Amino acid sequence: MEDWRVLEDTVPCREKEIENILALMGQKDQMTPASVFIYGHTATGKSHVVNSLLKISQVPYVLVNCVECYSSRFLYEHILNNLSHTNHTEQYRCDNMNDFIRSFQQIIEEKNYKDHTVYIVLDKAERLREMEANILPSFLRIQELTQCNVCVMFISEIVWDKFRSGTGSCEPYILQFPDYSKDDLMKIMSLDCPTDYDVDFYSNFTNLVLSVFHLVCRDLKELRHLTMLNFDKYIEPIQKGEATMNDSRKLWRNIEPHLRKALQTVYLREVSSAQWEKLQMEMSSTESTAMLSRSHVELPFYSKYLLIAAYIASYNPVKSDRRFFKKVSKMTRRAALMKKKERASNHLLGPKPFPLDRLLAIFYSIVEGRVAPTANIFSQITSLVSIHLLGQTAGDDQIEMPKYKCLISLDFIRSVSRTVNFDVLSHLYDFM
Amino acid sequence: SATPIIPKRPQQILSPTSALEEARARLHVSAVPDSLPCREKEFSDIYSFVESKLYDGTGGCMYISGVPGTGKTATVHEVIRTLEINVEEDDLPKFKYLEINGMKLTEPRQAYVQLLKELTGQKATPDHAADLLNKKFSTPGPRRETVVLLVDELDLLWTRKQDVMYNIFDWPTKQHAKLVVLAVANTMDLPERIMMKRVSSRLGLTRMTFQPYTFRQLENIVTSRMKGLRVFDDDALQLAARKVAAVSGDARRALDICRRSTEIAESLHKGKGEILVGMLHVNTALEEMFSSPKIVAIRNLSAQEQLFLRAVVAEFQRTGVEESEFSKLYSQHLSLCRFESIQPPTTSELAGMCSRLGSMRLLLVEHGRQDLYMRVRLNISQDDVLYALRDTEFS
Repeated sequence: MEDWRVLEDTVPCREKEIENILALMGQKDQMTPASVFIYGHTATGKSHVVNSLLKISQVPYVLVNCVECYSSRFLYEHILNNLSHTNHTEQYRCDNMNDFIRSFQQIIEEKNYKDHTVYIVLDKAERLREMEANILPSFLRIQELTQCNVCVMFISEIVWDKFRSGTGSCEPYILQFPDYSKDDLMKIMSLDCPTDYDVDFYSNFTNLVLSVFHLVCRDLKELRHLTMLNFDKYIEPIQKGEATMNDSRKLWRNIEPHLRKALQTVYLREVSSAQWEKLQMEMSSTESTAMLSRSHVELPFYSKYLLIAAYIASYNPVKSDRRFFKKVSKMTRRAALMKKKERASNHLLGPKPFPLDRLLAIFYSIVEGRVAPTANIFSQITSLVSIHLLGQTAGDDQIEMPKYKCLISLDFIRSVSRTVNFDVLSHLYDFM
Repeated sequence: SATPIIPKRPQQILSPTSALEEARARLHVSAVPDSLPCREKEFSDIYSFVESKLYDGTGGCMYISGVPGTGKTATVHEVIRTLEINVEEDDLPKFKYLEINGMKLTEPRQAYVQLLKELTGQKATPDHAADLLNKKFSTPGPRRETVVLLVDELDLLWTRKQDVMYNIFDWPTKQHAKLVVLAVANTMDLPERIMMKRVSSRLGLTRMTFQPYTFRQLENIVTSRMKGLRVFDDDALQLAARKVAAVSGDARRALDICRRSTEIAESLHKGKGEILVGMLHVNTALEEMFSSPKIVAIRNLSAQEQLFLRAVVAEFQRTGVEESEFSKLYSQHLSLCRFESIQPPTTSELAGMCSRLGSMRLLLVEHGRQDLYMRVRLNISQDDVLYALRDTEFS
């Protein structure tokens, strides 16, 4: 049982959790709790700790990712086949819990697991709630149902309260994996120090990275990714001979603007990692390249006008249409009064649905020249829907009063209207 | 195999030794007596109906209704038994008796299959069986004997097209069918409620309703079973009969209560010789059967759970709506805890209690994934909750 000491080096800052799980597991032939529910934030080492513990202690176990098992049949068969390790000619067929329990007992009998605890690890266990209602309660009391020494470990990011359903079930043993502190993160991150650099030097760098990123991001995976990306930039002055290892102030001044820039792209991967590395090689400015999320799409002429009309219809109240689009427009006193009554900006509340008639009316009043309402125009509306620039909210039938919503941002519509020389801001109620 | 079977008894049950055991054996619902007391009129009605059809060699339908436990099926069985005795004495033409029970069929159309199997021994698919039966009943056959068919739990033979019911009531109208159908169900207005016009018109107007037993009849039934045994005190018997008659008039319920009170009497006076089942024992049995388990459950909840129920009632009284979100109940619970000056639970703990109460069906709760927005309702009246919590710790 001393093997797990190895873990202390590879999995730091989880000693207490490892100790807890080991205490629950006990000796191989001892009974365990029927079910253990492990939860904690993203990247707190839940799966890693459980998987490596089970691997080291050399007990029979199965790992299942519940996302992969979109039907209960896959879940059952995955567990049975992995537990029995049979050759591929003889696979277990099983599509309900009843068969699963029977086959499970059979495997325990055949494999002589009578004096072992068998572990079933269900990762991303929140998916179990979407499957048939009997699965979660049955897995919770599987020890009782199979009458075997078996333990089910659920790993999830959400709390147990959200798993309870109306009819009640056995409660699992609940174990929480707390978040890593800043020191913990530093300790873990300095594990992947490059071999040709000093550990202190590297942990100095991770400290710098954390000082910038720790406010916005505590996800270990993301932080490790960012550290690795920026390390080359950090050591650049040393390679050039401009600074030494101990010249930390100079190195900091060199890396800080880069880190601040990278802060904008945390989690986003707007510039892909390979691109980022290439950029650092070429020493070019990061902003010069077009980001992946482009706010520019080539559209046909009338589609642009349709989109502008849709934007106006979505964000302007119906009452104001008369003011904007009447032939002889003049601000009456009533209109001025109306403006004052309006409380919140429409741009805060989000787009409102509008009927097709209103869209076409606005379209005809903003477009120059005479446009016939041909099939072409209508098909452009539906293609705008299909490329998700518009959304259809009501009336699935095209003929019967369809309602639409405009799904684009103000910046996008401004760039579109610039290309057709239309001043969209002067037609928006919020900017009057 | 995966087919479940009832485990065998390790040893046979011994024949009853004491008077109480003998009484228990006779009071068992499955021990149908030779003659049914208090159902003489219904018996003779059904008997004469079937007898006349047998003599005439024609067919017909009769619809028998009544609340559960009023002796419908037992009376029909009794009629058939008497008819069969008369046939043996050559007083009556021969007939064949069939029985189908809607509850025992996996699917309404299986009725055809079972009918055909009992009639001819053939096995067929439902469609084919229906064809065969149709042919059999609509063509004349030499020396065909009358068929008496008992259809129990008729309402379960309902299908969207009602073809099963239609066929069963249509065959007797055929000239050569010689089929007598006795349809049994619980509700009196079943033909008018769920049957189509053409089905209920074929069922005809020969109807019979079994009234619930009055307390005298119930008393009669029990004493007739206890003939020759002195086990029950008369007043005790009358108490049981009156209580049951007041609620449902169900003979099974009355028999169960009497059986239970013999058990109670036995356990109270173990090895004290002959005992008479008295008022006390019957009263205990009645309380066991009629008292609400929910009130007992509430009395045995943990202190915090009782406090939570109190919070639910308080919140409902405050808002005047019989439904509330969990977050509101939580804040109500917190303030109650403050009043009682006890340590308030965390949200998770309270959510656990709430779901426990929900699984006991004292509350109606939604799935836990809604957490604070989970809507909670009471499954019993507020007065019952307050009554149950009256003499508890925090009242």
